Amino acid sequence: MSAKNRIVPEEKGTAPLDVVIAVMAFLAALAIGASLIADRAASGWSEGLSGKLTIQILPPTNGSPNEGLAKETAAALAVLRSTPGIASAAPLSEDEQLKLVQPWLGAGNLVADLPMPQLIDANVAPGSTVDLQTLTARLKAAAPDSILDDHSRWIGRLRGLARTLVWSAYAVLLLIAIATAATVSFATRAGLETHAEMVALLHQMGAQANFIARAFEWHYFRAALAAAALGAVLAALVFLAAGGLEFVGLEAVPFLPPLALKPAELGWLAAVPAAAGLIAYATARLSVLAALRKIH
Amino acid sequence: MVEAMVRFENVGMRYGAGPEVLRDVTFVLEAGSFTFLTGLSGAGKTTLLKLISVAEPPSRGLVTLFGHDLATAKRSALPALRRRIGVVFQDFRLLDHLSAFDNVALPLRIAGKHESEYARDVEELLVWVGLGDRMTSQPPTLSGGEQQRVAIARAVVAKPDLLIADEPTGNVDPDIGARLIRLFAELNRLGTTVLIATHDRTLVERTRAREMRLVDGRLVELRTPRP
Repeated sequence: MSAKNRIVPEEKGTAPLDVVIAVMAFLAALAIGASLIADRAASGWSEGLSGKLTIQILPPTNGSPNEGLAKETAAALAVLRSTPGIASAAPLSEDEQLKLVQPWLGAGNLVADLPMPQLIDANVAPGSTVDLQTLTARLKAAAPDSILDDHSRWIGRLRGLARTLVWSAYAVLLLIAIATAATVSFATRAGLETHAEMVALLHQMGAQANFIARAFEWHYFRAALAAAALGAVLAALVFLAAGGLEFVGLEAVPFLPPLALKPAELGWLAAVPAAAGLIAYATARLSVLAALRKIH
Repeated sequence: MVEAMVRFENVGMRYGAGPEVLRDVTFVLEAGSFTFLTGLSGAGKTTLLKLISVAEPPSRGLVTLFGHDLATAKRSALPALRRRIGVVFQDFRLLDHLSAFDNVALPLRIAGKHESEYARDVEELLVWVGLGDRMTSQPPTLSGGEQQRVAIARAVVAKPDLLIADEPTGNVDPDIGARLIRLFAELNRLGTTVLIATHDRTLVERTRAREMRLVDGRLVELRTPRP
């Protein structure tokens, strides 16, 4: 059947409904992207910090601070390197430590004159566990001014935040999906109402219910698919633009994870027009069959 | 014995809680018959045509179509019965976005035929009703008379067993009206049972076919079929 002799005509005056479907599809696609980004960020944050230990040696208050710091650092390194499950342990160089405080204290002489603690980075071997209570006790015995930080509190709070973000994104996605489904369904029903006489005529001419339903379901499938595809493509462009910003070294939103989607993740956005098309198809079919049941 | 295409026995019809529009209507349309249905406006002609074309169920009485009692026929069997009937609606009911050709072809598409199977028949029919040069025109660009001819062509294109027409010559000039009646007569000669509702006394007198007249919802037989 060519476009010119389709039984259901291309409608004029439905542009506002198409725009509403496109906008809802755009928001739904953004919500899907946000969920994927939040999920990825949550895993990244956890993986980045788990398996890492930081030991902080404070400058001793008695005796020579520099000498004491060096002695306690060496003792702590010896303890760490002899602990089963610790894959590596290394002190941060002075330059690395200065870089860490630079954002807060600047790079002036003041920093160089301050009594800086010594930081040691230790990595737990993959698949191993370390008894942190015993390690803390052994470190305290060898280096009384040492503080062991396994980041568990920070990771715990970060994981909580990430979980909240992911579930919030899912909740927003669900709400937008419901609103999009309702919009597509409403638009389809509104369109069908304008064709009530045509449905009655085809019925009177002896068309089977399936013939009539088929004419309408594909019509509204195509319309919703096209409008929702436009919204999803716009959302994809937003994520690609965010990727472009990161590529040239600009953060789209400081402190938040990268807002770009990977090429494989962009494929998920295609679910929006597909779902919109199917909702329109099902709504049209059910509405036509319900209308036909009311006719003799 | 001639087969009955349509049989009404004591049929009554009312819309909702309103008065009866048809009362105790009893008649038979035999296969191959040609009948006029006459009566004043509001006498119930259109309602009677709706009952015959399975557009409405009667409030009471027995309606039999092609030997099927409509009260007991399965709902799924009704579309096939409707496809055996060609209807010319008083208000034409053409699809404005389709060309004259596609409007006429609609019953054939509904019957599951492909354009290559029916294109020639549809074109010939449009030429016959004087619309050979308007095949690609859409109804809004056609005159009332032209739209009526498209509606008639649509009703007859599938060579229905029963043709029902509600005022089919109401909007055309006498020459075209006579031509359309010849088309109905030709279809009738080929075996189609024809029932035409009309106000046009000249048409009824000239054709000398059976006439059933509705008076206040009751049927009066004015002229019996020719032997």
